[in-house]
Amino acid sequence: MGSQSVCLDSRVLHWQPSAGAQVTSQTLVDLFRSIESMNGVRTGRWQITAAQHRPFTRDQAMAIDCAKELLGVAFSEFASKHYFVLRAERMVVEADSSIQAIMEKLQVYRNRLSMVFEGFQYQLGDFQLKAGRAVLSQAENLRGIVLEVEYSPVSSIEKTRQMMQEFVDLWQEAISAQSMSGRISLLEPNFAEYALSDTYTWQHTALQYIFLFAYFLSQSQRA
Amino acid sequence: MECVVQGIIEAQHVEALDVLLQGLCEGQREAVKTHEICLKSKPISSFADSRALESLETGTVASELHLLCDLSKRPHIWTVKHIGGAMRGTGAEQLPALVRNIVESKMSNNALRFFYAVGYKMDYELLRDGFAYRFQRAFPITVTVTSVCRLPKQHSIDEATPVTPNIQLVEVTAPATADNFSDVVPAISSFAEHLSPLVNLSKPGSFAGIVSTASTAAASLLSRSDRLEHRV
Repeated sequence: MGSQSVCLDSRVLHWQPSAGAQVTSQTLVDLFRSIESMNGVRTGRWQITAAQHRPFTRDQAMAIDCAKELLGVAFSEFASKHYFVLRAERMVVEADSSIQAIMEKLQVYRNRLSMVFEGFQYQLGDFQLKAGRAVLSQAENLRGIVLEVEYSPVSSIEKTRQMMQEFVDLWQEAISAQSMSGRISLLEPNFAEYALSDTYTWQHTALQYIFLFAYFLSQSQRA
Repeated sequence: MECVVQGIIEAQHVEALDVLLQGLCEGQREAVKTHEICLKSKPISSFADSRALESLETGTVASELHLLCDLSKRPHIWTVKHIGGAMRGTGAEQLPALVRNIVESKMSNNALRFFYAVGYKMDYELLRDGFAYRFQRAFPITVTVTSVCRLPKQHSIDEATPVTPNIQLVEVTAPATADNFSDVVPAISSFAEHLSPLVNLSKPGSFAGIVSTASTAAASLLSRSDRLEHRV
């Protein structure tokens, strides 16, 4: 199924504070400054919503033969599509956004919680950077900080791997120069396990956000 | 939402219907080859029974979930179609076309595996093979003429055989909304009149039979078409 909107090769990262340090709104402001210190030009806002769904049963004793967790992702910059991830089944599905209406009518799953990732995006040569906060839609408190690096001309993950890493290292240097306590960290899913090819698509981005969503949830449960 | 009327035609008159449709829409013909999989929720527990009971209690009409794979295009295009209950009530019964809720979504090619994972299984599958015409009038109207084929083994598209070799299905549909369906229904009904020499179109479920004088109308259409071709 071909995507209409241009998909850039992307790495979804997050801010890992040093031991004992907290992630605050100021951390995000400092990260915006670090991008601007590299001459990044702010180009706009972005928002991504990730949602966790559980099987819908009025009576918990009723077991339904279906996946116990369904995760969804919607991108504000590509609103015509919706993505589902089934982690246990190692599957990423792309569909028109109307799939949400169909899933609602089927009443097999109900939304348990949603996380909103939102912030500003910047252009820096061929790179596009995003930095933003992650908050649960029901609560305003910060669950984490997401950073995303997109690279436009190439769409092969293997071809851009080294270039991306070099760019992240450069960004880390700019951050360290501001004496921030922490580092940029990557949770890269095994795309091949999810039958995703080396050619980058929106499904790759959706899977990365789902991994980050799950990571932030696990971190907040641990805290 | 969509408005729909259906009918059947003897296979020997399909060529004449093709000529008639071509004359009406100036040749917007498309091949149709669709693998259709009807899904139902897995009755492993009392979940499905409770849904059926709930449906009886609330008076709602059971919906259908169809997964369609368009084999006429490369790569194949997968679409899931949720067909809701038909509009009910005295007013709806008097309408000459069925009005029902439809929600469609294109999906990636792992759609079937996805629905298996979220609690559905295949109820039945079939292949629709034929052609379609799209008309852009006051409302977009689509006419599909297909042979409905059964698959002897699961997903055995290449071994599909027509359920009724001498009969094909004609379906006329138009998208509608809650605001405009009262305008779309007359449009579809008036369009159906154009096809009445060859096919009786009515609401799905109320079988109107074949047109007894279709042979004469078909012969007339084909000879007129031949004369036009000779003149060109």
